[in-house]
Amino acid sequence: MKLFLKLLASFVVALVLGVGSALLLLRGGLGGTTAVGPWMTSDVIGSADADPYTRARVAVGGLLALNRSETIYFTAATDSDGETLRMQCSYKIVGSDPPARWWSITAYAADHYLIPNPQDRYSYGGNTVAREDDGSFVISAGPSESGGNWIPTGEGDGTFTLTLRLYNPAEEAVRDPSGIALPRIAREACLR
Amino acid sequence: MKTWPMWIAGTVVLAAVFHILTIFALPYGIMDRAMAGIAAQAGGVNKPLYPEPATAAVRGIVRPSPDLLYTACVYDVGARPLRITSPVPDTYWSLSMFAANTDNFFVVNDRQANAGSIEIILATDDTAKGGNGAPVVVAPSSRGIILFRSLIASDEERASIDAMRRQSDCEPL
Repeated sequence: MKLFLKLLASFVVALVLGVGSALLLLRGGLGGTTAVGPWMTSDVIGSADADPYTRARVAVGGLLALNRSETIYFTAATDSDGETLRMQCSYKIVGSDPPARWWSITAYAADHYLIPNPQDRYSYGGNTVAREDDGSFVISAGPSESGGNWIPTGEGDGTFTLTLRLYNPAEEAVRDPSGIALPRIAREACLR
Repeated sequence: MKTWPMWIAGTVVLAAVFHILTIFALPYGIMDRAMAGIAAQAGGVNKPLYPEPATAAVRGIVRPSPDLLYTACVYDVGARPLRITSPVPDTYWSLSMFAANTDNFFVVNDRQANAGSIEIILATDDTAKGGNGAPVVVAPSSRGIILFRSLIASDEERASIDAMRRQSDCEPL
């Protein structure tokens, strides 16, 4: 009986540790090892060359993601100072068109779904963003309404992430995603 | 003789096994769930589904793009090849195919299609033949997901792009 209890305890502890550590590793979504400021991507998303961890990350946080030659997905979970993106804080995303046929920036809640908001507004793209005189853009993300391009982060108190999609990226971006200029994410203020 | 070091070592090894099994099994499990959800809404496999644009209320596939209109089809080419057809709109558009392990094994976009419509045969080997000499794509797994993406270029074009994507189809040969 004592041996059985020991075996059972070992099994349960191993199950919790093994499955828990795997889920914890995948919690951050697509992520990746290539960084451009706060933006992270993986060279092998969607590819047959993907390692088991990348496949699992894709399944959890980016199912049906296209391979890099068609679309590059950058995900930011922090601002440019490395602080976690929070729904109760306001951010300015400042940049110019990345090298791609079309791009978009979309905000997602921690559960990887779109953030509920009365405006039903979740993203801006190269075809919808209002631009500055020099062609650059400023997108606000935060809980309080702001003029111009504004992505509401809802009334929640959790964290969120941003995904920057580059559809039909330029050749230099496919070759070296780490070498392209991407928008800066600056925190402005927090409600609490 | 103390046996606790052996128990700890055994538990750690078993935990590593569970960890690896979880990492390997998750893609298949999540794809299975996604395929079941799409097939249930479409009325079965090898049938197209035309979901409404993504909103916060949509809880099917994670991280959807609200700027695109999707058409999805769960393929099962175990018994018969599948004919995939679609008009190609004058906006960003792609037809992509995903194996049961999540790999994106095929993609073609509107510029590569370079035509007003497209026809592709999906099969388990390259001996399958379509009626019009359509190219054959070999699926690495007998089941998976076909996904059409159409960019909503502007609000004015939304209705016409929506009408076109509803002509995308998948049916057994």
